Amino acid sequence: MKRLLLILCLFFSLTVSSQCVSNQSVWLNPVGPYVVGQVVTVNYTLGTFTQLNLNWIIAFQINLGAGWTNLQPLITPSNPGGSVGFWMWDTQNTFPSGLNFGPGWRFINTGTANWGTGSIGPFVMRFRVTVAPTCTPNSLSISMNVIGDCLTGGWNNGTCCTDPAYNIYNGVVQIPPIITTNINHY
Amino acid sequence: MNYKEHKQILLTLYITILMMTVTIFTFGQTTINPDTVCANATGEQYFVTNTPTSTYNWTITGGGILQTGQTTNAITVDWGGVMGLWVNAVEVIESNAAGCPGAPILLDVFVLALSGNGIGPFCPGDPTTTLVGNPIGGTWSGTGVVSNAFQPTSAGIGNYVLTYSLAGCNTTINVVVNGGPITGPIQHF
Repeated sequence: MKRLLLILCLFFSLTVSSQCVSNQSVWLNPVGPYVVGQVVTVNYTLGTFTQLNLNWIIAFQINLGAGWTNLQPLITPSNPGGSVGFWMWDTQNTFPSGLNFGPGWRFINTGTANWGTGSIGPFVMRFRVTVAPTCTPNSLSISMNVIGDCLTGGWNNGTCCTDPAYNIYNGVVQIPPIITTNINHY
Repeated sequence: MNYKEHKQILLTLYITILMMTVTIFTFGQTTINPDTVCANATGEQYFVTNTPTSTYNWTITGGGILQTGQTTNAITVDWGGVMGLWVNAVEVIESNAAGCPGAPILLDVFVLALSGNGIGPFCPGDPTTTLVGNPIGGTWSGTGVVSNAFQPTSAGIGNYVLTYSLAGCNTTINVVVNGGPITGPIQHF
């Protein structure tokens, strides 16, 4: 009986919140805060993707604040036990559902178009960003959206995953104060 | 208090400030505001502490002309001849290596123009004449000058240059003491 209740609780938990993403972790090198010109490497890992309603994971979208520039992929997500296909780096793509994606990685399923990968993870990836030149403390937020093929229009079997973006970094560009001495007269 | 008295008090206040400036000049650089310069002074040097990666944008008003050093931390300025207090006459804005500007740094400048009253010509026996400088508060010097007054008798016959000094500025006037006629002895035809 207890076991049945536990299973029911788990089922309702997944159904009500539609959470597919779990065990996310990240590290940044160097750690913040950051100044203009600084190059930061971000290593992100998604431990598990739960295939709610057979949603398959299809994209990792990187959301950057206005203070960043020069986003570069370093390590493409892995695809352990996944479908035939590959992860492709893309700066922009409009999925069949009209979802505007990018930048980030999206899975190209070479078996069935517009499907994600059947892998549940873990997915490890790495990218690099640079703090853009500025005189104002622009946002340096970084977050990651994990997107299933239900949202992109490749699969339709009930409720889609609605995981919020995973917060990787929150901060602003550190602007060193310009301190000018008084004017002196020889 | 009438207008004239009010003006006199203001002038005295300025003179006090000028004297303070002179005192600081004696011991080195000044950051006192307002700064004081002599009318038509040339090559006056202004500076802020240098940050090697920064650039500096200077703006000069009040009759001054920036001569050298724009974009650096030190400049030279030639000042005009119009006396008065010029607010924010020297301004500098520092920009760091990223081109970000800092807050403007400002300095008021008092341009000091001196003048002295013309006196003479004198004869050797003429009485002592008070020397008047404008603005008041300065000091007269030169041959025959005693306590800011000219004594033709002690000066003797000749042409003299008398100097009026105030707050490090100077102006001069020329004074002549003429000799008397040389009269021969009385003779009896």
